[in-house]
Amino acid sequence: MTLRSLILEMRSRPHRVVHDLAAAAAAADSTPGSSQDYRWSDIPEELLREILIRVEAADGGGWPSRRSVVACAGVCRGWRLLVNETVAVPEISSKLTFPISLKQPGPRDSLVQCFIKRNRITQSYHLYLGLTNSLTDDGKFLLAACKLKHTTCTDYIISLRSDDMSRRSQAYVGKVRSNFLGTKFTVFDGNLLPSTGAAKLRKSRSSNPAKVSPKVPLGSYPVAHITYELNVLGSRGPRKMQCVMDTIPTNAMESQGVASEPSEFPFLGTRSTFSRSQSKPLRCSSSHLKETPLVLSNKTPRWHEQLRCWCLNFHGRVTVASVKNFQLVAAAAASGGGGTGLSPERQNERIILQFGKVGKDMFTMDYGYPISAFQAFAICLSSFETRIACE
Amino acid sequence: MSSSKKSSDGKSSEIEEAVASLTMPFNKILLTSSDGESFEIDEAVARKFQIIAHMIEDDCAGKAIPIDNVTGDILSKIIEYAKKHVVEPDEDEDEEAKKKLDSWDAKFVEKLDLETIFKIILAANYLNFEGLLGFASQTVADYIKDKTPEEVREIFNIENDFTPEEEEAIRKENAWTFNG
Repeated sequence: MTLRSLILEMRSRPHRVVHDLAAAAAAADSTPGSSQDYRWSDIPEELLREILIRVEAADGGGWPSRRSVVACAGVCRGWRLLVNETVAVPEISSKLTFPISLKQPGPRDSLVQCFIKRNRITQSYHLYLGLTNSLTDDGKFLLAACKLKHTTCTDYIISLRSDDMSRRSQAYVGKVRSNFLGTKFTVFDGNLLPSTGAAKLRKSRSSNPAKVSPKVPLGSYPVAHITYELNVLGSRGPRKMQCVMDTIPTNAMESQGVASEPSEFPFLGTRSTFSRSQSKPLRCSSSHLKETPLVLSNKTPRWHEQLRCWCLNFHGRVTVASVKNFQLVAAAAASGGGGTGLSPERQNERIILQFGKVGKDMFTMDYGYPISAFQAFAICLSSFETRIACE
Repeated sequence: MSSSKKSSDGKSSEIEEAVASLTMPFNKILLTSSDGESFEIDEAVARKFQIIAHMIEDDCAGKAIPIDNVTGDILSKIIEYAKKHVVEPDEDEDEEAKKKLDSWDAKFVEKLDLETIFKIILAANYLNFEGLLGFASQTVADYIKDKTPEEVREIFNIENDFTPEEEEAIRKENAWTFNG
């Protein structure tokens, strides 16, 4: 056969050429995976990551689509690890994802907008994440609290479930205890210590190798102390509020500061590898913190001469005047706030928690770094309970 | 990319390659799948596969390129997509064209089962075809949206390897997640 006839023969063949069966079979055997069953569990990690990143980004990363992210973390261990690597903590993403997000500090440059619904009949409060700008829309349920009166004090039990308020339940998150007069409150965190089982889920090459403490019985640890006082004008003026955050050092307010954050609930395997703090158990009394604890105080309203009332600028988030309304800022940096690069006034100005009434039993709650949703909710509950300056 | 020599009808593939260089129009490239299917495509289309684009740049692409890791059925789908996406319309400048292409994409993927999409993802990754890889990944993400963990496991045939304690904890986590 001449070269010319060979070329003519090649040209006359249709474009899609299938070689003879023997060659095809040989080819099939030599190429891996071509004749095997496909298995999603065998997908290379970086490709699964691409998929999970897109799951997280659905609808701007908000709820209710965000449910899918948590669902993926519940599929199998491999997926759970990848999801934990993909999802950033609220401080960075401004997004709440897992229940543990409720105990992690909020974002530095913005506030997470939530609302609280009060039920006077059951004496309970429900915290929701706001999903839209309209307060008539449903939010994402975050926490529930209910009041428990004792002889000398009152407790607000905080739970992940509105139908399960038992302190022994795994849904129990913490409580706020008020003294008899309703002037001093202590916030207790119900579950701070990681269990060994969850730690095994961490990869060995994680940047934050697990420092696992042996299984320790759960306790309730004080994490904040809140006090209310009348101001110099007595009941005619706005009350003074002070919150000592036992688990947050004052230097958390600096640009490089870190608010200590819990790594996980006892029953969860989630651990954010973005957490910069070690997983030390949060045994919380101010003596344990090397730094002085952060103190928050309420911003003093200005007296509006023409309107004859005390005014705070809530930027539209509070619409009904109430003595319960407040804005919390870091207390004046008397204890050496230098090094932040911010002037004392500016440092003081940044709102960390804002709470106020918008309807008969509706309140907004906006919080940001360095406090968490749980701490914010607990502080707001104290505002409901205190009787200071209520006539 | 390895160039395995397959023989067919007693002729060596070296001759085939040489013949292809002589007989193929200037800007055409011949791709051959792992199971022997050949596809003649424009160079512009072939360049959507970065792995081939680099070969062309480095001047080591012959006119016939074996794609050892991809079977013919998958390769044909990938080429079909690549042909449609040779020129990506600018959303701002030509909204109409973008809409038409999006509609074509939706129909394209509608007909594919999950197994095929899985294979397309692996192949697009191998060929380094970013556009299709992103699109296929998004398609899978859409499958997952709003599903429970059990449903995801079912669809993707994934084994639940949590311990009973972990499973219980995750169930409680999901109770909060799917509650309101």
